[in-house]
Amino acid sequence: MEKYKGFFVFVEQINGKISEVGLELLSKARELADEKGTYVAGILIGNFSENTAEDLISYGANKVFLFSEEKFKYYYSLVYSKLIVYLVKKEKPEALLIGATPLGSDLAPRVAAQLETGLSAHCVDLRLGKDGVLEQVVPGFGGTMMAVIICPEKRPQMATIMPGVFKKHKLNRMDGNVVRETADISEEDFVPHVVEHRIKEMKTTPLNEADVVVCGGYGIENKENWKLLEKLAEILGGAIGATRPAIDEGWADEDIMIGQSGKIVKPKLYIGAGISGAMQHVVGIQNSDVIVVINKDINAPFFELCDYGIVGDVNKVLPVLVEKTRKKLFK
Amino acid sequence: MPQAVVCVKPIPDPKHWDKLYLDHKTGVLRREGVPHALNPPDKHALEVALQIKDEFSWDVAVVSMSPPDTVKILRETLAMGADRVYLASDKAFSGSDTLATAYALSELIKKKIGLFDLVVCGSMSLDGSTSQVPAQLAHYLGVPHVTHVTKVETDDAKSFKVVMDFKASEMIVECKTPLVLSVTKEVNLPRIANVMGIISSENKPLEVVSATDINADLYKVGLDNSPTKVKELFIPEIKRKKEILKGGDPEDIVDELLDKLHETGVL
Ligand SMILES: Cc1cc2nc3c(=O)[nH]c(=O)nc-3n(C[C@H](O)[C@H](O)[C@H](O)COP(=O)(O)OP(=O)(O)OC[C@H]3O[C@@H](n4cnc5c(N)ncnc54)[C@H](O)[C@@H]3O)c2cc1C
Ligand SMILES: Nc1ncnc2c1ncn2[C@@H]1O[C@H](COP(=O)(O)O)[C@@H](O)[C@H]1O
Repeated sequence: MEKYKGFFVFVEQINGKISEVGLELLSKARELADEKGTYVAGILIGNFSENTAEDLISYGANKVFLFSEEKFKYYYSLVYSKLIVYLVKKEKPEALLIGATPLGSDLAPRVAAQLETGLSAHCVDLRLGKDGVLEQVVPGFGGTMMAVIICPEKRPQMATIMPGVFKKHKLNRMDGNVVRETADISEEDFVPHVVEHRIKEMKTTPLNEADVVVCGGYGIENKENWKLLEKLAEILGGAIGATRPAIDEGWADEDIMIGQSGKIVKPKLYIGAGISGAMQHVVGIQNSDVIVVINKDINAPFFELCDYGIVGDVNKVLPVLVEKTRKKLFK
Repeated sequence: MPQAVVCVKPIPDPKHWDKLYLDHKTGVLRREGVPHALNPPDKHALEVALQIKDEFSWDVAVVSMSPPDTVKILRETLAMGADRVYLASDKAFSGSDTLATAYALSELIKKKIGLFDLVVCGSMSLDGSTSQVPAQLAHYLGVPHVTHVTKVETDDAKSFKVVMDFKASEMIVECKTPLVLSVTKEVNLPRIANVMGIISSENKPLEVVSATDINADLYKVGLDNSPTKVKELFIPEIKRKKEILKGGDPEDIVDELLDKLHETGVL
């Protein structure tokens, strides 16, 4: 067990760009590694220049293992998992962290199965136990229950972590080096065959970084009220989020869903309007500094979880809130 | 006849999760009064297989690993149109994590079904929501996997064209059998069992097997042999002010709110 050293992070690329969650995990790995007196390594697979790899050093990596070839540009689960398994067997890290993105949650279990090691999913926190074992906090039953998962006997300890739970942190100075790697991959591993790769047009929402998040639920009732909510977010210089039903109604795009199956946010101020407060949503916002809830039903569970609650109808409250906030901020 | 296998997991019914509670003395999760239900995404997985059956006359077998009293719940898959069910149920399996579950399911498939063309899973089980079993099962079965599938098309039921939704991008993937797919709820609308289905399900085979029946390696299943362990369960403690601003006039309430936010320093 002592042979296994270092915190490794698989840094995913999303359409050729380094993913935010990869940087967040490097920063967290740095913190854990410092606590344990060990090192951090990033794993980068794709078609990258060394400059990109060097960027990871400033987020905390002592080493970056770079698999860069044209044929690695697109994700193939068998190919990516073989590269990682090859590296892990050679370098023997004590932990391997992967973002709980769609790609990460496709890749990680295949890697863990090949290594016959443990893997926890969708972690919302990581910490070291007294014995130095990695404690992985995962939500169960839609966030109504939390479990601390450990992997005491197998290495590496593997986890996928929700984007947004850790803050990325750029360091002023860091020493590190890039190590070029390659492994034997046969043509047969490039299956199933990807015939088309469509990049979806998405407005990039700075939800993860916003200081203020205004979120709407089913109780917003209509598109007009939704526009008002967007206005409020704009005035507050924040971002807008939505619950699942609000997205189903077509008021907002899927990529701004907040909660267990969407984004995790921790702004200074969160305002939730027309939202009942289901745990699946609440897990995504519970680390906000201040939570404001607007709901017409005094029995809505969200009132039990808020700092300030307004019992009222959004049709009446929202227009006033928008106007008064505007006046307050732009006197 | 080509063979589809659908992985179905009975879970504590999400409608009754408010009745779950943690025994603080023992740290054990109590489920009294919480009935089982089919994991909702797995109905979409079954529907994928049933549509292929309807068009190309495949055989559809359902496999599951869960306690013996979930037999009733699994009958629902027969009423929907599955041909048979294999339930692996054994004390030796209890406490299995995803890796151990995937191993047990792979042995169940190998021993009871043998050759297969397609294994269809749900995208995640709602209780644990790991989304890990499908890829791990594919590893043990020695076949490729595709997850996050939102569309399945085929002309001949030999090669499949599926859409894999990665949120920021979408991949159109051509796959050949055998393989494992995991599908999201966008993929279809599951059928509802009708009376004929329910009646005919009574005569369809539902076999409950033990770990030894399928020769599962007992050192690879159950709590003791799962690489991950639950160290602790806890209910997230949420400490909030819970100040409710009442009063009739929205103008006054909003003023009060803005003052409070100003005092706390967030505005
Ligand atoms: C596995 C799983 C994962 C999930 N993941 C997520 C997730 O990531 N994110 C997510 O959001 N959901 C998720 N859900 C869904 C979640 O369980 C809830 O259904 C959802 O959060 C409820 O959204 P809501 O509060 O907008 O709607 P509702 O529960 O319908 O609540 C609407 C609220 O608006 C109030 N209201 C109505 N009209 C007005 C009005 N005029 N003025 C003021 N208030 C009004 C009502 O009193 C009510 O409380 C998930 C569910 C499952 C099973
Ligand atoms: N015990 C089980 N029995 C049968 N199928 C399962 C079991 N556990 C998981 N699955 C399948 O794997 C999918 C993903 O589950 P999970 O990895 O637990 O989120 C589910 O939707 C099922 O199709």
